[in-house]
Amino acid sequence: MKKATLLLLCGALAFCACRKDPVPEPPSKDADLTGQKVDVSGFPESTRKLFVLNEGGMGSNNASLDFLRFSDGNYVTGAFKKMNPSVGAGLGDVGNDIAVQGDELWMVVNNSGIVEVVSAKDETEIAAIAVPTPRNLAFDDQYAYVTSWAGAYASGSYDENGYYVITDSKNPKGQVYRIDLKTKKLAGSVEVGYQPEGIASYDGKLYVANSGGISSQLPPDYSYDNTVSIIDTKSFKVTQAVAVQVNLKNVYSDGKGNIYVTSLGDYWSTHSGLYRIQTKIGSEDTVSKVSDYVSVSSLCGDTVYCIGTDSEFDWSAAHVYKAWCVQGGNKKDWNLNVAATTLYSLYALDADTFFVGDAGDYFNPGTVSCYYKGAKRWSVDAGVCPGHFAAY
Amino acid sequence: MSAPWSLPAQEADTLAAATVYSVQAFPVVRAAEEVDLSGALAAPAQVADVLRRFTGVQVKDYGGVGGLKTVNVRSLGSEHVGVFLDGIQVDNAQNMQVDLGRFSVDGIGRITLYNGQKTSRLQTAKEYASGASVHLDGERPLLLDKDGGKVRLQGGSFGTFQPSLQWDRDLGPVILRVSAEGMTSSGKYKFPFFDTTLVRENGDIRSLRLESALFGRLRRGDWRLRLYGYGSERGFPGPVIRRASGFPFSAERQADRNLFLQGGWNQDWTPRYSSAVRFKYADDYIHYDTHPEKNPMALPYDLHYHQRSGYLSLAQSLVLADPWSVDLSTDVQRNALDSDAGQSVTPRRTVFTGVLATRLAWDRFRMAAHLVYQGAWDRFRTPNAGGWSRENTYRDAWMPSFSVYYAPFRWLELDGFLKRSYRLPSFNDLYYSQMGNSALVPESAAQAGADIRFHHVAGPWSWESRISPYLNRVTDKIVAIPTSSQFRWTMLNIGRVDVTGLDVRLEARFHRQDWTVEAVLRYSFQQALDRSDPAGSTFGNQIPYIPRHSGGIDLVAGWRNWTLSWNTVVTGERWSRTANTPDYRIAPWTVSDAGLTRTIDLPASGSRAKKPALEAGMVVRNVFDRPYQVVQGYPMPGINLMLSVTYSW
Repeated sequence: MKKATLLLLCGALAFCACRKDPVPEPPSKDADLTGQKVDVSGFPESTRKLFVLNEGGMGSNNASLDFLRFSDGNYVTGAFKKMNPSVGAGLGDVGNDIAVQGDELWMVVNNSGIVEVVSAKDETEIAAIAVPTPRNLAFDDQYAYVTSWAGAYASGSYDENGYYVITDSKNPKGQVYRIDLKTKKLAGSVEVGYQPEGIASYDGKLYVANSGGISSQLPPDYSYDNTVSIIDTKSFKVTQAVAVQVNLKNVYSDGKGNIYVTSLGDYWSTHSGLYRIQTKIGSEDTVSKVSDYVSVSSLCGDTVYCIGTDSEFDWSAAHVYKAWCVQGGNKKDWNLNVAATTLYSLYALDADTFFVGDAGDYFNPGTVSCYYKGAKRWSVDAGVCPGHFAAY
Repeated sequence: MSAPWSLPAQEADTLAAATVYSVQAFPVVRAAEEVDLSGALAAPAQVADVLRRFTGVQVKDYGGVGGLKTVNVRSLGSEHVGVFLDGIQVDNAQNMQVDLGRFSVDGIGRITLYNGQKTSRLQTAKEYASGASVHLDGERPLLLDKDGGKVRLQGGSFGTFQPSLQWDRDLGPVILRVSAEGMTSSGKYKFPFFDTTLVRENGDIRSLRLESALFGRLRRGDWRLRLYGYGSERGFPGPVIRRASGFPFSAERQADRNLFLQGGWNQDWTPRYSSAVRFKYADDYIHYDTHPEKNPMALPYDLHYHQRSGYLSLAQSLVLADPWSVDLSTDVQRNALDSDAGQSVTPRRTVFTGVLATRLAWDRFRMAAHLVYQGAWDRFRTPNAGGWSRENTYRDAWMPSFSVYYAPFRWLELDGFLKRSYRLPSFNDLYYSQMGNSALVPESAAQAGADIRFHHVAGPWSWESRISPYLNRVTDKIVAIPTSSQFRWTMLNIGRVDVTGLDVRLEARFHRQDWTVEAVLRYSFQQALDRSDPAGSTFGNQIPYIPRHSGGIDLVAGWRNWTLSWNTVVTGERWSRTANTPDYRIAPWTVSDAGLTRTIDLPASGSRAKKPALEAGMVVRNVFDRPYQVVQGYPMPGINLMLSVTYSW
């Protein structure tokens, strides 16, 4: 399987889009969809589409899927709704993660309790899998792994009718659910830390960032989690919990033994930042800080690109953003002058091509901008809070 | 004229011996809307139902019996609308939201709406300080015998049962009123969700209100005291969204308890000098629980809020030379909020409001000017490197207003007002939005409005029409902005909204022998534009939830003991976002209610002067069973029925 091999090469993280071999464009049911036309010259020919997941507002049921078709430069909005009119309620409430797995596009719809699988070719629904408060996705060649906060308030199991039966309401920790890639059915879960967020797969292990974002608002301790749970995929058990920093968010594997974890900080004394876990065979993993200030980040190949601001505690001030990147554990210079009302997301397609999501006022539809070779190329209207990208 | 015991009609007996100067007799500008409920038939069950029929008013309704209902006047935002019970503000320092769904019309004699400035004598200072105001005035019992009362049984759709009891007793110089009202409802109703029909779940409610009041008379004065207790336990059904089957929409519950004691004393010391003292002590408790053990999709919140507030007001009025008078009103209020939410910042707020008002009021020409000063001193716990410390902030604002009234002919009345008012940031804005922003300044509303009224009486017919253009501008609007995490919001003073509007109200009445017919036609135009950021993509768009066109029709026909009523509310196209795109368009809706009542007079027993009466009523709401939403994601009920039987003696 060429695609499976490709995925493994990419460190099993579907964020990566640094493909080399050209893929012939198959006839697709969504070929009639058109939108705003943008300049795609110079973009990698191996990529057919860039998917954009717009989160929407919580309770507003307005998560939406956009895509940019590289063959003709059409930026199509609301693609899920257009291609799946039978799913009347649309994609759902709060899109939280997106990833391409083979010819499938996987999306996490947080407040709908749904992991939505569609065809990456034409966005038609393949499966909608019920997972309580799902957050983020990772894959290996057999399973998809989904972090979930549900265990933070209740854990349970599914009965034969697919209904969730709560068995323990006192268990405060989150879970990682495992979904069989072939059957699209849940295949067990494992308890991790408080309110787990990002997850990455590397070398038979899963690295899960525990945030404690809800614990921090609850009495009596009002405290964040600060650990990365490491799960052995064979036994599907947590083997280790590594302390990193409070309020962890994203996890990236560079495929070379480095796991990068972002922290959002605590919003008033600890700044956001990027941390590195060096995985070592036969000895303890080591944790080190790479840098402070990460507002948005993206992995491409073995490089993590970050943009942050040192005035992050003061939301009434105009923010000056600084870009930098890290490769092999070393912080490197990288420059990108982003102009955004509310910098919300970043995606690196290759070392020259970056996409930036601007959430505007968070309430109304935002924009996606393309930066090519260091300069802004175009900007298009997207959905509310364009937050997550995946290339196909 | 904040309280009904100073209304001119009811003032007559207490002030019989005193000279009533013309300056004391009328408010400078007439109320925009006024409903007398004391003798109303087929009265709707909630204050919100009455306000829904007021011109220029939008009631934001989350649906169902226990659903939140807030009122927005002329696109100012509900925080700028003060709700006053007997002149004393019903407020909530935590979120500045008053849930009108909780007010029963039982015991309320009169509801008035002022779009701009209410100006009459002996107002509390806070009555001058809100952009628009709704006044609920308790009726003073009129007893023909030693005692009297009424019992009502009401019930119908959604498994609703609402019994109430009211009993009045004349104790010589004092009248005692005791009342109680209970309610229970399943809150269940069907609603369409794309191609299926779902049932609204977890919208049930149980509530109990117990109240007692004393109404006293003095030589050239009066006083009243009200002790109020309300408790409820309800579910919040949550927004309707796509949700995996097997997970409920919501299991959220809230239990709350409101207790207050309030009172007032009005005294005319001399024909020229009068004073009014009012006070309130309130103790409110809320327990909010998302019940994660019943809903794996719920965020695990189990929070308790305990809010206490004390309020004291002194209003003084002096007639300098008829028709010129000066009023000085001073209020002080203390709010305290204790909660286990948001890191226990335990805010305390002391608000001082002072008003100097002057009026010049001939019968046909009147004017008034007010200057309000409001200062709020907050003290709150704040996280500090290594621990917690107490911080203070002081916010203050001057709010001037000017009103004028002129009636050039008997059939024509003209009035106008200019006003600037502020609303303080709520405790939620400042301290509980997870990343509280204690640097917020008060949100400002500048208003200008005019009314042109025509009257005509011809035989059994009487006509009145009102045309009211206005301009509003809200600046430093407090807007919630999430930070880097969706669950961490902060508040900023960034918004500006410009409103251009027009209210039109036409009323016709016919009265002959056994027949009474009343018809009201209402229309409102509201252009409420976002003017926050000239570079923003939504600059110049209509703000969410405000219809450009709205209106309605009320018809009431009475024949002998029968009353038939019809009410239609029409709301035009709206958007749920400032982005006025098809994705966020809310379709226009029209909803109609019909009511029928019959009263039967029974023979008086023994020596009693008042004849007992039996009244049977029926209200059919949403007669045409139209599905509609006032707030996106919160479907409203289809056709539903409420029956009531009242026995009064």
